[in-house]
Amino acid sequence: MIRKGLAGGSYQPLTEESIAKIHQTVMAVVEEVGFEVNSEKALQLFEKAGARVDREKLRVRLPQAKAMELIGMAPPEVRLCGQEEKHDVLLGGNRVYAGTGGTALYIYEPVTKQKRSATLEDLKRIARLVNRLDNIHLFMLPTYPNELPIEQVDANRFFAGLDNTTKHIMGGVYTLDGIKQVLRMAEMAAGSAEKLRQRPLISMIGCSISPLKMDAQYGDLVVEIAQRGIPLVCPAEPLCGATSPVTLAGNLVIQTADSLMGVMLTQIVKPGTPVIFGSVATNTDLRDLKYLAGSVEMGLLNAAGAQMAQFYHLPFYATGGMTDSKVLDAQSGYESAITSLLCALAGANFIHDAAGMMDFALTACYEKFVIDNEILGMVMRAVDGIKVNDDTLAFDLIKEVGPGGNFVAAKHTRRFMRREHYQPSLSDRNSREEWEAKGGKALWQKAGEKARRLIAEHKYHLPTAVRQNILSEITGIVD
Amino acid sequence: MTEDIISLIRENVIQGRVTQDDEGLDEGMVGRPGVTELIEKALAMGIDVRDIISNGLTEGMNLVGQKFEDKEYYIPDMLASAEAVGAAMELLEPHLARSGIKPKGKILLATVKGDLHDIGKNIVTILLRGAGYTVKDLGNDMEPQSIVNAVRAEKPQFLGLSALLTSTMVNMRDTIQALEESGLRDKVKVVIGGAPVSEEYARSIGADGYGSDGFQAVAVIESLTST
Repeated sequence: MIRKGLAGGSYQPLTEESIAKIHQTVMAVVEEVGFEVNSEKALQLFEKAGARVDREKLRVRLPQAKAMELIGMAPPEVRLCGQEEKHDVLLGGNRVYAGTGGTALYIYEPVTKQKRSATLEDLKRIARLVNRLDNIHLFMLPTYPNELPIEQVDANRFFAGLDNTTKHIMGGVYTLDGIKQVLRMAEMAAGSAEKLRQRPLISMIGCSISPLKMDAQYGDLVVEIAQRGIPLVCPAEPLCGATSPVTLAGNLVIQTADSLMGVMLTQIVKPGTPVIFGSVATNTDLRDLKYLAGSVEMGLLNAAGAQMAQFYHLPFYATGGMTDSKVLDAQSGYESAITSLLCALAGANFIHDAAGMMDFALTACYEKFVIDNEILGMVMRAVDGIKVNDDTLAFDLIKEVGPGGNFVAAKHTRRFMRREHYQPSLSDRNSREEWEAKGGKALWQKAGEKARRLIAEHKYHLPTAVRQNILSEITGIVD
Repeated sequence: MTEDIISLIRENVIQGRVTQDDEGLDEGMVGRPGVTELIEKALAMGIDVRDIISNGLTEGMNLVGQKFEDKEYYIPDMLASAEAVGAAMELLEPHLARSGIKPKGKILLATVKGDLHDIGKNIVTILLRGAGYTVKDLGNDMEPQSIVNAVRAEKPQFLGLSALLTSTMVNMRDTIQALEESGLRDKVKVVIGGAPVSEEYARSIGADGYGSDGFQAVAVIESLTST
């Protein structure tokens, strides 16, 4: 069975009092410190909406009441659609989904233990692979096609997604012209601009610069995407001790304020526009300021971010499930598992980066997508929790079997075994003798075999007519 | 007495205490004189500036570097110490000529056009000041022409360029080209740094050096100073 969209929230690192204190501090930051907004368009919009704007310092400050009014306009739920309806996800509340993330520059090959530059072909192959991995619910474009000039990157990345998986496609974007191409392509895939708004097959990401800064390009991107009514994630990436206070509470203040800045801007552009509050918060190695992708603090911060999103009634984009390890070893497994699990149990709506990423998020790995699919299956089982009712308590059955009996042959066992217990698709549960007889393979070897098989079995492409139209209208797509 | 105050300066560089209000690393330091108070006292006592710099500041920074190598110190520790040395050098500057000490040189730093990420550049600024250089920080999102104008006006020995984004690092190349077009390229050594940049990239755009992190930036500039 596929578990997705289940209610999390059993893990709450923040008390109600802590949430209230963080909120008050965020509001004080929004009102007293303000944001540096380097986009003229965004600056004008904030000014028109009633923000106090210091033109010389490009500083935008909003009174608390105004900020809360804008945040309140954002829809509490955002539906992200797949080309097949079964892949739709409804972000909001404490429902949990997991997906890939981006954007890695390299591919790690466990056989040679080397990394190499990622290509467009890798992106297509990973899309095919993820299409078949059931515990990865959304496809965020995970790699960068290094061989392409930047002007061709946006269109080729989204086409690689749309043409190779029916799951929802989310992606970072690089140029304003690229966004326009991607939106046109998505309209053609959906049928029309209106159909795309009704069933958004794609969504985009516009990241602020922590602390409290929005650069010109991303400000313009946010405005453009919001005008089109395409779902947009506004994540912030504060790093403890570097771009935020070193304390986790201080980091949460910056992350919340930065992400809300994007959320507010989208609502000024167009009230009710679908927007997702987001966190890429983590800590740094204070010996060299490296971004850390597998720390337990990252898990805590993103779990707490889920609580803040629930407080503001905004859908949430969390970051978890990565590792800083360079190889597929124990560190790779435990860092991915712990960070994913903390986010999921807290009810983070979309845990992005939850599959395939390693080495400070610089590198993706085919085998790791398959391994993380297994981790996510276990994580989602944990979110599912323990159902207690007359059927599951099974008093009648206990009475029937009685002392010294067994439950192996009971119908009750067959009825519940698949639902109650996660069925691993990769973990080894053989006896040592069986395992040795089957070649004594390590997990990554089995993962590699599975990845190659799933990619080879892949059949999906966009409908022929749509595909032809896109290829003839959108320039620069490498087929 | 001279030795005492020099060792106190050294100790406070290690603690990273600029003034008496700084807490430093160990408990109970607040209220005791920091590096600036100690420097003023040393100057009043007529202690040789050369002695203050080499046995107090430089020796202190060497010990800090050792602690960093030993994984005892983190970057914020290094920065606190470098800031203390930077503040000390500012106080000592008017006295350098009298002691026959030549200033180490002037450096302009900028994050290039289109890029607002300035943490890396700011760290390099502190570390270079801590190494005794005079540093002028031009800011971020700097147009090639503004950088050229600053080089013409300030006449620095070095220009440091920083970028975080793959999309803005090309503006480093444009800045170096602009220097060439205005005939200033051979007047200044250009060192670049930032996450997407590499030694290879530095060579390809005609920079004189590349620093993979703040400490490397100082090391590269030190090595180019002596050539």
